[in-house]
Amino acid sequence: MRETLEKPAETKPTGNGTRASQAREAFASPPNLGRTVRVVGPVINIDTSQLPHPKNQRGELGKALFNWYRNTVSKDPFVRVSAPNHFADRRNYLTTVIGQAPKGKVNPRRVLVSDPRAMARHVKRVARYLGADLVGIAPTHPAFLYAGRRYAQDGTTGDAYEQLSPEELARTFPYVIQASTAWDYRTLQAHRHHIGDASYHVSQMRANMILKALEGYIRELGYTAIRGVANPQGAGLAAGLGELGRNGMLISEKFGARVHMPDPILTDLPLVPDKPIDIGVEDFCNICRKCAITCPTNSITFGDKVVHNGIEKYKINWLTCYRLRPFVVDYWTSCLTCVTVCPFTKPNVWWRSLAVWALRTCPIPARPPLVRALKAIDDRFWGVVRQTRVRWLGYDSGIKPGEKACTVTGCTAAHDEAGRSATAADRDIGYYAPLKENTNRFVKRDTT
Amino acid sequence: MALRLGPLRFPWPGRASAGDPYWDFFVSTPPSDPSNAVTEIIRRAPEGAVFPAKADLHSPEITSRHIKELARYLGADLVGIARLGSQEAESGEGYPFGIVCVVRADYDPRNAPGVGGQAPAQNGQFVTFVLSAYIRELGYRATTSGDADAERLAATAGLGRLNADGRLVAARYGSRAHVADMIRTDLPLVADG
Repeated sequence: MRETLEKPAETKPTGNGTRASQAREAFASPPNLGRTVRVVGPVINIDTSQLPHPKNQRGELGKALFNWYRNTVSKDPFVRVSAPNHFADRRNYLTTVIGQAPKGKVNPRRVLVSDPRAMARHVKRVARYLGADLVGIAPTHPAFLYAGRRYAQDGTTGDAYEQLSPEELARTFPYVIQASTAWDYRTLQAHRHHIGDASYHVSQMRANMILKALEGYIRELGYTAIRGVANPQGAGLAAGLGELGRNGMLISEKFGARVHMPDPILTDLPLVPDKPIDIGVEDFCNICRKCAITCPTNSITFGDKVVHNGIEKYKINWLTCYRLRPFVVDYWTSCLTCVTVCPFTKPNVWWRSLAVWALRTCPIPARPPLVRALKAIDDRFWGVVRQTRVRWLGYDSGIKPGEKACTVTGCTAAHDEAGRSATAADRDIGYYAPLKENTNRFVKRDTT
Repeated sequence: MALRLGPLRFPWPGRASAGDPYWDFFVSTPPSDPSNAVTEIIRRAPEGAVFPAKADLHSPEITSRHIKELARYLGADLVGIARLGSQEAESGEGYPFGIVCVVRADYDPRNAPGVGGQAPAQNGQFVTFVLSAYIRELGYRATTSGDADAERLAATAGLGRLNADGRLVAARYGSRAHVADMIRTDLPLVADG
């Protein structure tokens, strides 16, 4: 089955034809991305200007989305310091500060690497020491590199290698380092709420800071490190951080889908790459459709994998996923429903490790019954969608959306009138707005 | 680190640096270009504006609890709030409270100038940057600039005692604790200690 949902941009012509063709031959075989994603045909490198955020920055996705992206200051103080684009003053947003800082120079005194294996261990140790929860190294392959200019959602771009084609880049910088942080489990339970936003955005800011530090450290070792050039999911899959789920998220062994995939580092530091892992996501996503059922915008497919731009995978409809945001900006910033309901997303504790270990060691033909059993357990104890009531700082997901109330025990402050319009929930159920029946009215299920 | 008993391997706590030939470079070699160090990038960054509308706050005890909860969520290991005395220079700017955050430090950032040695300072800056920005977005003034003697105020806030060198010794971390830049603020809080 071949399907192209949108037309990818043309690749950029390169300066040196013969070198480029030599490089292309070297990458004739497709990259190994594990069982969930297979490269089956020629991949046209996506131009960074055709990614969702750059399209929206130019206003190509309509007025509502453009205004949401460019002109909306959040009403929530924590969103204003932690979420991209909704700040009142960008100097209060750490990712802007880090992203817009000038890039450092490569140390002229290079540290010689006699044993790439030791260096690979060292780099991973460094990333973990700086606070990363997951780190992996992948061999660079042009199939998951971008074409065109460097990508940065919030920061400065550009380096001395922008003229190189993806193939030449992959030859010059043979390794990609992908490191990531996990979102906090407890606050994530209040997804579609500002509490869940905090879980996502704090981890995002932290991951951006850690990768900036790691990038700087590689320059200090005397090697080049460039950013904004590789698809984070592709690099994460090749580096063995996880497998790609039906929801289009990378599902990791320890944390499930609650990991952030930041912009990876391309480098010429001599390293030893890791291999993709198999934790049974392929078999699980074949059977489980929890994310597709609960997605408020019906953006996740119930069907099989499709071939999109030469890559066989579950394809989400990013446009409908994106289009919801202006409607909900008063209640939440990042939806995260598909991540929260994913059966792999659990606290990193022994019973979770046991379940993943059982799935991983089970022979592939025997996995479907095991998956059905695990999914039945998940449905029984965690339900179809999480409705846990979470209290965090002054937030309480038990208060109905649009209402205000102070439910903090012992608070004697005289809140303003809006603060006393209080109908605080008496039960232990969290409200996350808007509910699926509300969004069904303006986002129809894709019937194809 | 792992303990080996024949074919069995048991996880065993040990220093991250064991058997790593590049660890010393990571901890002790100062960056050749300061722009490669995140600590320097954050230190140079100007502070943002205070949000024009003040947020509807809870009572000061609750606000203090929330500020501490947020600091721990951002990665601080110990948080305390100290009242800034009238004799202190900072009170001239009208900041009644200082929020002191402490992070666990394997290396003292003052003696270890490498990227790794500065890691506790970086973690501390992450907390103080986001926390002070959050207070400014609540509509109150907060600043992390200036070198007030944070260690002494950390001891005042009950996070530990000072040793003979004037360093903070915390109960759980001993002297392996890094006191991050103090946040001075006029947010209504309740001081500890």
